[in-house]
Amino acid sequence: MIELPIIDSAAANEQTPRARYWRSVSQFENSTEFQRVSGEEFIPGASNAPEGATRRQFIQLMGASMAMAGLTACRKPIETIVPFSHMPEDRVEGIPVYYATSMPFRGALRPVLVESYDGRPRKIEGNPEHPDSLGTCSSFEQASILGMYDPDRLSVFNHKGATSDWGSFKSFAGQLAASSRIVVLAEESSSMTLAATRRRLEQKFASVKWIDYSGAAGNASTRGVNAAFGKSARAVHSFSNAKVIVSLDADFLGSVDSDSVVNARGYSASRNVDGTSDVSRLYVIESGYSITGGMADNRLRLKSSEIASFAASLGSGLGVYAGDTGVHSSHPWIGELVSDLQGAGSGAVVVVGDNQPAGVHALAAAMNAKLGAVGTTVRYLDAGDSAADFSAEMTAVIGEMTAGNVDVVITLGVNPVYDVPSFSDAYAKVTERIHVSLHQDETAQGATWSIPQTHFLEEWGDGRSQSGLKAIVQPLIAPLYEGAHSNLEVIALLATGAEQFGYDLVRETWRSELSGNFETAWRKVVHDGFYPSSGFSVLSASASAAGIESAMSNVSVSAHQGIEVVTRLDPKILDGRFANNVWLQELPDPTTKVVWDNIAQMSPKTAENLGLHYKLNGGKYITDIAKIEAGGVSVELPVWIQPGLAEDSIQVTTGYGRNILSDREIRSTNFFDRDDHTDVYGHGAVATGVGSSVAALSARIVTATITKSGSGYMVASTQDHGAIEEEGKIVQKRGLFRQATVEEYRANPKFVAGGEPKPIREDWADYPTLWEERHPANTDVITQSNYHDYQWGMVIDLNTCTGCSACVVACQSENNIQVVGKDEVSRGREMHWIRTDRYFVSGDGASYDSPQMVIQPLPCQHCENAPCEQVCPVAATVHSPDGTNQMIYNRCIGTRYCANNCPYKVRRFNFYNWTKTLPDTIHMAHNPNVTVRSRGVMEKCSFCIQRVRQVNKTANIESRPIEDGEVVTACQQVCPARAITFGNVADPNSAVSQMRTSDRRYELLAELNVKPRVSYLGRIRNPNPNLA
Amino acid sequence: MPQIFSRKVNSLPTLTLLGTLAGGVFAVLFVWYYFSPKFTDVGYAPQQPVEYSHRLHVGQLGLDCQYCHTNVKNANHSNVPATQTCMNCHSQVRTESLKLLPVRESWATGEPIEWIKVHKLPDYANFSHSVHTNNGVGCESCHGRIDQMEIVAQAQPLSMSWCIDCHRSPEQFLRPNSEITTMGYDYPEDFLTANLARIVSEDIQPPTNCSACHY
Repeated sequence: MIELPIIDSAAANEQTPRARYWRSVSQFENSTEFQRVSGEEFIPGASNAPEGATRRQFIQLMGASMAMAGLTACRKPIETIVPFSHMPEDRVEGIPVYYATSMPFRGALRPVLVESYDGRPRKIEGNPEHPDSLGTCSSFEQASILGMYDPDRLSVFNHKGATSDWGSFKSFAGQLAASSRIVVLAEESSSMTLAATRRRLEQKFASVKWIDYSGAAGNASTRGVNAAFGKSARAVHSFSNAKVIVSLDADFLGSVDSDSVVNARGYSASRNVDGTSDVSRLYVIESGYSITGGMADNRLRLKSSEIASFAASLGSGLGVYAGDTGVHSSHPWIGELVSDLQGAGSGAVVVVGDNQPAGVHALAAAMNAKLGAVGTTVRYLDAGDSAADFSAEMTAVIGEMTAGNVDVVITLGVNPVYDVPSFSDAYAKVTERIHVSLHQDETAQGATWSIPQTHFLEEWGDGRSQSGLKAIVQPLIAPLYEGAHSNLEVIALLATGAEQFGYDLVRETWRSELSGNFETAWRKVVHDGFYPSSGFSVLSASASAAGIESAMSNVSVSAHQGIEVVTRLDPKILDGRFANNVWLQELPDPTTKVVWDNIAQMSPKTAENLGLHYKLNGGKYITDIAKIEAGGVSVELPVWIQPGLAEDSIQVTTGYGRNILSDREIRSTNFFDRDDHTDVYGHGAVATGVGSSVAALSARIVTATITKSGSGYMVASTQDHGAIEEEGKIVQKRGLFRQATVEEYRANPKFVAGGEPKPIREDWADYPTLWEERHPANTDVITQSNYHDYQWGMVIDLNTCTGCSACVVACQSENNIQVVGKDEVSRGREMHWIRTDRYFVSGDGASYDSPQMVIQPLPCQHCENAPCEQVCPVAATVHSPDGTNQMIYNRCIGTRYCANNCPYKVRRFNFYNWTKTLPDTIHMAHNPNVTVRSRGVMEKCSFCIQRVRQVNKTANIESRPIEDGEVVTACQQVCPARAITFGNVADPNSAVSQMRTSDRRYELLAELNVKPRVSYLGRIRNPNPNLA
Repeated sequence: MPQIFSRKVNSLPTLTLLGTLAGGVFAVLFVWYYFSPKFTDVGYAPQQPVEYSHRLHVGQLGLDCQYCHTNVKNANHSNVPATQTCMNCHSQVRTESLKLLPVRESWATGEPIEWIKVHKLPDYANFSHSVHTNNGVGCESCHGRIDQMEIVAQAQPLSMSWCIDCHRSPEQFLRPNSEITTMGYDYPEDFLTANLARIVSEDIQPPTNCSACHY
């Protein structure tokens, strides 16, 4: 027997950490509650039995179950096989087919490749051949598959409260008088066919006012560029060429950005520290804390309303602006930024966020032009975007509607009753209100005609990507609900009075787009998913000083006392259009890690001044409610204290507080069955009642009154889940996240080794593990297996990972990971197989009030010496010969010893039968190659073993070895920053082996001798040494 | 005072003990046999919506399995044929047969025939037909003498131990790839030697680790 010495101070690591890494305010303060949460093996409350059933009821139930258990076992369930009657050509059951199409997103097309499994769309990836995607995508594309199977989708026509159908609408459309005055509010669209159909509508009716509905996002960028260049244009960035990037309130890496995928890829290319070229430097000036701010080398927190002054000062320094520079004219950063930008010349770029006024966008355009960046790091594309002020347009339309000057309002896939509070009364005054939408949303409830809309996977369409490449949207499946029609078909019907099919309309448009044999060319575009060399033309205009002056004349550059409130698009559910998507609702916010809620984020000092608090309690937070009042309206939101925010600046997000009606019955089950309690679909539409709407607030309120209006609200956040104390009893510093500056890295390439805690035992050889003699990896069964030739491993590059969380949703889609709801997450029962841990960093030049932020994705580490395997009493978690740690669900009896023993806390337990209550349509989104887990079973990241095994089989049949890059995990496939590499570590030439030779490589908790198969590459920052 | 219990009662504890032991042994044996797939699953032969006879089509007419189950070598699933496959012949042969009425109806209406699944594996077990049929496992090895079945019945238990038996000693069961669909394949005398040689040359090592099938 091995004698383990009593832990003593001699074993302690004596190094004093230079910086502190902490997850939350509670951890920073090392509160007793945090010690309790991180000290216990499970989140407190995770193992509690459900409340509701008494002991007596439980015994009754058990008795009845025992009596009936024998009977149920006698029945043999009948399963049927349903082959086709007429077999489609080239169809092989069980072999997925991939189709290229595109997802409309914020006015541009996102190229995707959709896996269709036996005719059922199943998973969405980026289109690998499209230059804007190269096979990657964001969390929105990944989750949109669930949007199609959304059980709350509008399935029937509704006409003035009664069920109707397409036929009735057709006769209505035929009778619509040509003298009708029509207003169309259409979701931003790049479709050429819709534009052509719109012209037909405008010809038919006396007056048609068509508004491109940009909603909460606004279109300040287009207007700003218009002011600078005298022509509306779209700024598209090439960060791969960038040397110095200045972001003014722009979250260009965040998933809400129209071009986030291209930006993330470009940015990560510019951060290549192992190449010969210089590493780019990113300055971020922002009021909130975005993931782009987390990637910053130098970050300045500034109230959103004062960023205009900063931009003006920067513009003045660069010689493009002569007007008033306001409060920040002598900010110490200005000089440094000016010289750094000028030094970078054409490699410099200034980016501005949607929230900033048009004047700041105009300034940025002028600065980019002056620096010579246009054509290198930024291109201004002639995209034909409307430069009209959206909010002014809406105000005008509402006025017209109120005055009775509008006969018909058509809303296409937009939801103005929710977005614009003043819209509702005016809307009711219009005689005919036609609404096309996926849900029976707020606008549908006030419409006279509510028409079910097709999902983009069910319709024909076309459009252009952000950079202008034309593409055709092809359907993967017939509409799930009979009667569902696309925006295009509805407008075409109104424009012509006759029914038109989307397919014919799109083909009609493309006849003039394509040259040569039309059928051949058409098939090629549909197949490839885009039409090459059809991008927007590049604008080469010079900035006009007068235009900028006039744009800036509306912008205040003075200091603002009081508290500002900034409304942004939500990184998970955008403006609310993804609010009914449970994957996105349960995705922890990339920076706050809050799920199923919207919150008022503020800095610790601001909260203290306002007398607002929150408190960690087990796996959840108990927060005060802040009442935000401005301009006669008020909104109440739970308080969230987030270090690193600008003082006196409150950040809120759109999209919550929805009111969607659903036809589904409210589930009510017996007293003993708690499945209804945990069923996210069991209480009407998913989005209804989640969070509170902030639509009443204007996008940026300079001075708001904040009061405490309540307390005791529960917010579920995963930021403290799975936390490890930064200092254990044995190791003083764990070095979970390791980073250095470029200079430090050049001087000491092996800097990560300096962060290595000493092994708990000085010489592990003296302390063999439990299984050393017959370690599973050394047995004949393992070493002689064919699988043994391939040893799978993963490397995650922390230098490029932005924390966008697309991997979390991709994993969820691939591995049938269930959603558990807010209450269950607050108990620490979330099921995500990969989580993105967010740490704040203070010390090392950063303070508690303005910390750095770093992100670390954490899947199962697939330890070679896996602690979980050693404690499983039934060998339900075992090593495969190819070196991965696997869960065998049918063996698992649910002791949870493995989760208890996992140092990384990556194991997830099915506390309930989450799938039992799922609506039928949701089952259609499941991956047939992955077991759907039941109650009482442990699960965790499998390295996408189903993909590995499929390649094993293919290679076996074709009698060939597996090539490098043939097995791709879901998280690796989606990652826009290409931060994840996966492959065979036994092959020294594989990409993953090459990555493992990097000097920056380290393993997490290596001191435990668990030998993880996942390695991390340390992050390199490139801060300006002159700025603290 | 008279004795309450007679002498015979003295043997009661022994008998009880023996009875309990025998009962225990019986219970174990009972469950062992009657709860095993060998008893519960082998011989499962549900009535199909169409009285399709494999004995007639395979045994007497000599159709190859792959005439209908076309993807058995390409995909994880071995497909049940579309109505179209039946109609290839039956648009000309036995066009009036009453037994074929459901087939003609399906063909006319486009509604599929709902066949009852006979061979069932649990959802947590992933099985691939293609990888077996390309590596010398004959149809007959798992499905039995289909050519003699009027109604298809499950011939083997399809339990995990049954799978593992073959995975551990494939040389007992492999046959040349050209004989995969042969029914009543006659193993030559030297088949063990031949199979062992093949296992070495083609590196056939059926996996026995859990995650080969369970994920």
